[in-house]
Amino acid sequence: MDELFGISMTLIMFVLLGALAVSLSVVLYVVVRNRVMFLIGVRNMPRRRAQTTLIVVGLMLSTLIISAAFTTGDTVDRSLSNTVYTLLGHIDEVVQRHGEGDSAPNEIDSTIPQEVNDRLRAAVEAANDPNIDGYLPVLLEQVPILNPESRLSEPSVTFVGLDAESLDGFPDVVSTATGEVLDVGSLARDEAFLNESAADELAIEPGDRVQVFVQGQPHEFTIVDVVEDRFLTGVGSFDRTEGLLTRLDTLQELFDQPGEVNIIAISNRGGVRDGIGLTDEVVSSLEGIIAAEGLAPGQSQSGGFALEVDDTKRDLVETAELAGSVMVTFFLVFGLFSIAAGVLLIIMIFSMLAAERKSELGMARAIGTKRGHLVQMFLSEGMAYNVLSAMVGAGLGILVAFGIALVMARIFSEFGLNIQPHVTLRSVVISYSLGVVLTFVTVTFASWRVSTLNIVAAIRDLPESIRPNPEAGTLRGYLRGVLNAAVAVATAPIAAWLYFLRGHPFSWPAHQRPPGERMPLGWLFVVLAFPLALSYLVAVLLVRLTRDRKPRNLPSWLMLLGIAAPPVGLVAVALQDRDRPIAWSVGFATLGLGIGAVLFYTGLTSDTAFPFAFGFSMMIFGVAIILRFFGLPERPVFTTMGVLLLTLWGFLAGNRLEFLFGELEGGIEMFFLSGIVMIAASTFVLVYNADIVLPVISRLGGLFSGILPAVRTAVAYPLASKFRTGLTLAMISLVIFALTMMSTMNLNFNRLFLTDAARGGWDVTVDENPNNPIGDLRATLLASGSSAQDGFRATGRVGLAGRSEVSEVRGGSRDFSNYPVFGADAGFVDGGKIPLSARARGFESDDAVWQALRVRDDVAIIDGFTTDEGGGLFAGETFQVSGIDPDDEVFDPITLELLDPISGESGQVEVIGVIELGASANFFGIYIPEETFGRVFGEPLLSRHFVGLLEPGESKAVAQEIEATLLTSGVQAESLKQHVEDDQALFRNFFLLMQGFMGLGLFVGIAAVGVIAFRTVVERRQQIGMLRAIGYKRSTVALSFILESSFVTLLGIASGVGLAIWLSFFLVTSDEFPTSDAGFSFVIPWFRILVMSGLTFVASLIMTFIPARQAASVPIAEALRYE
Amino acid sequence: MTTTQPHAATTRSPDRDLIIEATEVVKTYDTGKVQVRALRGVSLPVRRGEMVAIMGPSGCGKTTLLNCLSGLDDIDGGKVLIDGADLSTLGDARKTEFRARRMGFVFQLYNLLPVLSAIENVELPLLVSGVSARHARAKAERALEQVHLIDWARHKPAELSGGQRQRVTIARALVNEPAIVWADEPTGDLDSTNAGEILDLMVDLNARFGQTFVLVTHDLNIANRTHRIVYMTDGLIVDEKQIRDLT
Repeated sequence: MDELFGISMTLIMFVLLGALAVSLSVVLYVVVRNRVMFLIGVRNMPRRRAQTTLIVVGLMLSTLIISAAFTTGDTVDRSLSNTVYTLLGHIDEVVQRHGEGDSAPNEIDSTIPQEVNDRLRAAVEAANDPNIDGYLPVLLEQVPILNPESRLSEPSVTFVGLDAESLDGFPDVVSTATGEVLDVGSLARDEAFLNESAADELAIEPGDRVQVFVQGQPHEFTIVDVVEDRFLTGVGSFDRTEGLLTRLDTLQELFDQPGEVNIIAISNRGGVRDGIGLTDEVVSSLEGIIAAEGLAPGQSQSGGFALEVDDTKRDLVETAELAGSVMVTFFLVFGLFSIAAGVLLIIMIFSMLAAERKSELGMARAIGTKRGHLVQMFLSEGMAYNVLSAMVGAGLGILVAFGIALVMARIFSEFGLNIQPHVTLRSVVISYSLGVVLTFVTVTFASWRVSTLNIVAAIRDLPESIRPNPEAGTLRGYLRGVLNAAVAVATAPIAAWLYFLRGHPFSWPAHQRPPGERMPLGWLFVVLAFPLALSYLVAVLLVRLTRDRKPRNLPSWLMLLGIAAPPVGLVAVALQDRDRPIAWSVGFATLGLGIGAVLFYTGLTSDTAFPFAFGFSMMIFGVAIILRFFGLPERPVFTTMGVLLLTLWGFLAGNRLEFLFGELEGGIEMFFLSGIVMIAASTFVLVYNADIVLPVISRLGGLFSGILPAVRTAVAYPLASKFRTGLTLAMISLVIFALTMMSTMNLNFNRLFLTDAARGGWDVTVDENPNNPIGDLRATLLASGSSAQDGFRATGRVGLAGRSEVSEVRGGSRDFSNYPVFGADAGFVDGGKIPLSARARGFESDDAVWQALRVRDDVAIIDGFTTDEGGGLFAGETFQVSGIDPDDEVFDPITLELLDPISGESGQVEVIGVIELGASANFFGIYIPEETFGRVFGEPLLSRHFVGLLEPGESKAVAQEIEATLLTSGVQAESLKQHVEDDQALFRNFFLLMQGFMGLGLFVGIAAVGVIAFRTVVERRQQIGMLRAIGYKRSTVALSFILESSFVTLLGIASGVGLAIWLSFFLVTSDEFPTSDAGFSFVIPWFRILVMSGLTFVASLIMTFIPARQAASVPIAEALRYE
Repeated sequence: MTTTQPHAATTRSPDRDLIIEATEVVKTYDTGKVQVRALRGVSLPVRRGEMVAIMGPSGCGKTTLLNCLSGLDDIDGGKVLIDGADLSTLGDARKTEFRARRMGFVFQLYNLLPVLSAIENVELPLLVSGVSARHARAKAERALEQVHLIDWARHKPAELSGGQRQRVTIARALVNEPAIVWADEPTGDLDSTNAGEILDLMVDLNARFGQTFVLVTHDLNIANRTHRIVYMTDGLIVDEKQIRDLT
């Protein structure tokens, strides 16, 4: 895996290493300059071992998640590329008929005549390119094989013919028994090698005989040896690995294709792995030779016949790397919730550490320790935990990823992918550095927060009083807050801007500038940067000059001017009296409001959901904070803000506000944003209003009078610590939200694909073997003596092109993409009932659209994935139309151009229907009339028969019977229901894996509950002593602690589950959800939610158990003396 | 001044008027490296309805004695009978229950739960004794009335002055109508005006309801308002002074 988000992984590593070096240098600076602060920080670590353990666990979780994501990427990358190297062996490139593109071997049916092959071979030999050490003509055919002894059969095996004279550069035919390279030339005309997969399926040993069916006729071959699975031994694709191998001339004779081959395999100089480095040179050399022979695409002398060179190995290895990168992105995005929860935990841990040492810190400040020193002290302690815990986290992340690899290996084994755990040093370095840097930033912020303590309050252990602001609630105070925030925010970008203005090559190098654009920033430097720099100097001077003579109040006009013009702001800020409190929160809230408004407008004008939703969320938060500053009570303000945000987000999901704001586009990032904003909003609502449950709880507790005192303190304490409770609530609900949302959406999507309508009225599919066409299915079954056809309600057939390209016709331009095209016969149209999500204007019903496919020759019906972002789940398919909106039920017809890239034939069709998304997985592709298909693509590569049954429940048995009856024809029959269920099982398993990964985040929430519980035992020691003195039993004290944790955990779970159901309900019941099935209803995976919530709750109880016991056993007299 | 020798009162005969009978009480703190003998055989009888002040220099064992007599701390030797019950023979649960029903506590630092309102703090001892919430609330209101704080019932401790907080503590100590109220430096954190008011309150309650008060204090003015002062030094009672008679 070399890239992530399009950025080189090596570059990412070096940048992070730089950031790591900066973080460590800061600590080193503290060690050198203020050793005592460093020592105080570090010596605090062993003071409370249980708490230290929890802190280390909390700090390492982010690194663990990051490390697991990267290692999973490495594993996928390595496993796939290993599979590619193993299967391709010494093949680096493939020469094939132009138009085949990157077809899998078992899909290639075009051939290269002997004359062309001979000419090319001669030319390659004449060129004597030292980078090419192998040239191997190969013929590939699909055949059914039967073991006559065991009657085991395989309907579709790739039969490979290799030119025995050309095998020098390809030592890939290797005996599984001896490991020796076998000589294909030694095979007699009735002899073959069978690859390992086929031998396993058919239970064949060397010396056994197999029957190969060609055009329905059996041909016997003796299996001389079993060979390893390779492309050259018949592996057709990742999921079709069964193969048979013989001499080229034998296969040519068997299929009556004298001298013809499908492909010419090329081996580069070097071995299996190192040859890939010469790909560019070899492709270029071969293309030169092909062009010199007049065989290149577009050359007139080639007479329509052309060859192309496919860089098969490099292409597949790059695909493997891309898959690795996609996995990292996937796991990182879904891990973001846990990482966010981890960041909250770090902030909370340090706030609590500070609270615990409040009197020590106050004392330290009293005797002359500066705030900066406290930051240094906490930073030292934090980094000491961090450096160690990130190491543990990175290591455990690798273990977690290896666990993920084991699960993935099981999930993907049926696709022939051999997933093996793998980790690279680079990923470890990135994970560790990212973990340390992320924690460093968070710890720095938390330490700064800690350092702002009030000395007297700290020493006397009084509640931290807020310094009275004489300007609170006044316009002057507001303006000063905004001015200071504006200057603080503007300073960083201004500094960066000044840096770019220096004419550094990174600023805007000449070769990157738009043509004709002169250095646009040059005059800006004179007009803006110079005054700015001057203002800065003036400000510095003023700071010096007015150190003791600063005005108490700045005039409002100056502040307004400063807000409007940051350079003036800088001067104004320098002039102000530093001792007067600044309302930072309202200042930043106002900036947030402004930035939010800009984002909101940007989103609105660009129809993009992320800036729109982020913008309005910022605006609402900003307004709430401003209102609070001007004296409105917190509770109604923050409650209204939270409820408003939750309502708006609910309506935004599923574009229910389209009538107001138009349609907004959003992707997976909206999932994360919705989670963060909704959890924040809900947390505000809960912490400001949870006290309304107090009377209810008291009443409930009153039913069990013995626990009422415990209940009362258990609820009162968390509600009194809004910050702490809010953070814990947010941590738990973030992760529970993500898990519930994923489960709910997964269940609803699964149901969408599993509906009866999604099978379109068909129950069984029967795929013909290209080399053994069966024609009419009913007739063939009847002729074979089967009675299966008696249970048929309807049959239909579609033909699939071997190679098809499609482009939407928009103006004169064409942009062709590979996409499957099917020619549908009348039976398919009449017998099916495939639901459509949209119809072209003028068609009254789905049936009218399908019938048009029967009577017209210029129409097409497309699957739902081809419309814009059709479903999202399958976004990234190779062909998309832009003329049909996925939400439209009626559209103006659009035109597609269809192209057979092999023959060059093309034709145009008008799209008149879009298949509903739920059915699109079963009916994937473009459906056109049979005649039109024949005109453009000629004979189909293979035909697929659809069977509708009188008893749909029998589909699996019928499929088995058809396959057994038509064994010698090599048909593959499958129950559609079974097929869909298998696919869904795969998805389900993968989602379960993802949920397991995201569930790691729950450890963050549970660790938070534990940290709080341990902390509160220390914090409330004296109060516990008093409670025990006035009659609280040990068990009542312990119960109080357990109930307290339970209260917070249950609130968090309820918030996460509630919000996820709220949001997914809005999504699933909206018009955006891709189903027109009126009977489709929203369902909630209650069982899974209950299991998940139950486990979280039990884990939090276990976490609280030890501190609760500690609290219960506090010696009363000692506790009462405790300070 | 009547002086009592440290060991003179060790063998008093049982007296139905005595609510507290401490005999040869020993308490040692073992830190692992050092053993500190905080009480070295203290005997102290206290009569029902008596108000006794324990005085002495810092570290003499006043608070330790109070903790040992009230059952907050375990003793290493001797015997403590409270209303005839030997606390050292009771298990933790029984001892806790005994405290909840028979004793009240007032501490220097108030020791109120900051997250509960004044009235909620006051009713806590009743709730842990199994009194129904409705009755607990009614009794707590009466207790707050007695300490003249009923108007501040819904306020949290942080919203009250030091004197008010100590009144809440007293109300909490008296709400379950205990036989004995233990007070450790009840006015130690208050100015003289508030300290005087709190003491007036305690003397008044003692006179009206006949509850026994055992006070630990440094302040002679306060001690002089009680019936008897007991002086301690180095873990022993070294002197006693009868201030006024118990009527």
